[in-house]
Amino acid sequence: MFNLIENEVLKMISKKRLMFVLAILVVLISIFAYGQNHTAERTKAQLAQRMGITATDDWRRLADQQLIDMKNRLDSPYRDEKDKSSLRVRIEQLQYNLDNNINPLEQSAAKFTTKFMEQSIFLFLPLLIIMLAADMVSGESSSGTIKLLLVRNVPRWRILLSKYLTLMILEIIVLFFAFVLSVIISGLFFGLGGWLAPVATGFKLVAGKLDTSAVLNVPQWRYTLMVYSLAYFVAVVVGSISFMISILVKSTAASIGIIMSTLVAGNFISYFLSDWKITRYMFMVNLRLTDYLSGSFQPIEGMTMLFSITVLLGWAVASILVSFVYFIKQDILV
Amino acid sequence: MPQNAVLELTNLRKTIKGKEIVKGVNLTLYPSQIYGFLGPNGAGKTTTIRMIVGLIKPTEGSVRICGYSVAHDFVKALSNVGCIIESPDMYKYLTGMENLLQFAAMNKTISQQRIKDVVEMVGLQHRVNDKVSTYSLGMRQRLGIAQAIIAKPKLLILDEPTNGLDPAGITEFRNLIRKLAYEEGMTVFVSSHLLLEIQQMCDIVSIIKQGSVIKTATVQEIIQHDDKVEWQINDPEKAIALLMDHWQIKATQLKTNTISAEIGQHPLDKLNEFFIREGLGLTYCTAKQNTLEDLFLGLTEGDQIV
Repeated sequence: MFNLIENEVLKMISKKRLMFVLAILVVLISIFAYGQNHTAERTKAQLAQRMGITATDDWRRLADQQLIDMKNRLDSPYRDEKDKSSLRVRIEQLQYNLDNNINPLEQSAAKFTTKFMEQSIFLFLPLLIIMLAADMVSGESSSGTIKLLLVRNVPRWRILLSKYLTLMILEIIVLFFAFVLSVIISGLFFGLGGWLAPVATGFKLVAGKLDTSAVLNVPQWRYTLMVYSLAYFVAVVVGSISFMISILVKSTAASIGIIMSTLVAGNFISYFLSDWKITRYMFMVNLRLTDYLSGSFQPIEGMTMLFSITVLLGWAVASILVSFVYFIKQDILV
Repeated sequence: MPQNAVLELTNLRKTIKGKEIVKGVNLTLYPSQIYGFLGPNGAGKTTTIRMIVGLIKPTEGSVRICGYSVAHDFVKALSNVGCIIESPDMYKYLTGMENLLQFAAMNKTISQQRIKDVVEMVGLQHRVNDKVSTYSLGMRQRLGIAQAIIAKPKLLILDEPTNGLDPAGITEFRNLIRKLAYEEGMTVFVSSHLLLEIQQMCDIVSIIKQGSVIKTATVQEIIQHDDKVEWQINDPEKAIALLMDHWQIKATQLKTNTISAEIGQHPLDKLNEFFIREGLGLTYCTAKQNTLEDLFLGLTEGDQIV
């Protein structure tokens, strides 16, 4: 099996598709980092104008004030528990900033790296994975080399498994480079730090409303790790689906077209989501897993992190099953 | 199944989209022989070959390679086969050597030395480290043969192997195939629609038409060496009688004024002299060698299918 995977990796590298994907990452991260930097500068300037403070020096004074204010609110007997826990989390974050002399308005490489993946997980990351996955089997079909591959003394399922495992390795490589490139490029703009800053997570959905009672702070590095783990899961799911389509369709262009249009369609299908129940079982609308971490999701009855992960897992398993059954049974006529 | 058969096809059938493409092919191949598989375009040659190597599953019937069923013992059966199917499609973005290494990696018995030997055998040693995208069709064909023989298969299947080779390349290829069959003991199965090629290369030929094998025979059997002669003559009945009486040659009338006979060892000039002496008006005389082409055209186009 190892030699088969080695073969596939060599082919992938020689085809330069992986290099192409990494090049896209470099360009996009650079643009994104520059944009973030630009926005941060403007916010600072606006703050200075409006409030008469220079953010760089006087943010501590502002934070102190906010802190006292929040502590007073926490002591109030009329507050309910939910509000209190969310207040406690914000107090903790502000206290950390004061203790470590971090301006909360400043960006950091850690924040950027996480944010980049949160923004990429539902469209950009899947597109990169599709570029790699859609070609793995259909590329061999359209060039006719599949014939050479399947007349060896190796059963078909092993050939396909080696391709699938190679895809999973490539997904790790893509995410690894997305992480490293984000850190390096954003580090040039914002400095490399920020890994220990607390980030709030643990949001829940109770009776159709965002429940903040279980919210707690985790260090940034742990939060980033969670985001990238979810991103890998999404990559595997999207990779499996594209892999299946590339086996069924046999043409690289057609399979990229099909899965890309599905993904893009998924972005506006979400608008009908609350009315039209069946859409929530589509894989495209369940890709924003990181929103459940950050609490930035639109509360929809019945949609939780567990629900989304189960739906995605179902799609991945079904895709793999269809891929293997079809690939083993099909007649090669190219 | 015969003891030492390298390949045995039993009642092989394939129906694709309701159309029966291969209609019950039976064929047995023995070691160290070169077999030709001859048929017009669309006769079912490639479909049969794809079933042999397991790319297509037969609708009915079985394929056994060296005693192993392709359907049930795929890995063992395919360990004995090397093949080129239709065109020699290789990874164009890899070099010739990288291509060979890909296939070598799939079979642990292939050594570095074997790869080197094979490259030399097909005459690619000067270009093997160039990208396949820069190769000519002939060079790709050579690389295709190299990947087919790299694992020293007992059965070598070549589908239209001389497409794109120049005349020198074809001669070289023919010598290589003979060497592989007679020195390395491979059984070679060559499909082609080119008659001359099969006639020059093969020991035994099977002719396929519309999905059925209609004749299998040695090439010698088919191409008889006795010369067949045709005369255009004004009195055919008299000529036939005279040939029988004086020369013991059995002649038949073909058309109104044409007779034909196999004259064997008799000199043609003496026969012609004899006709003229007997007062027959001889207008035209031609000697024909019976070729595979006659047989092929007769079998595949005429009504008198064997």
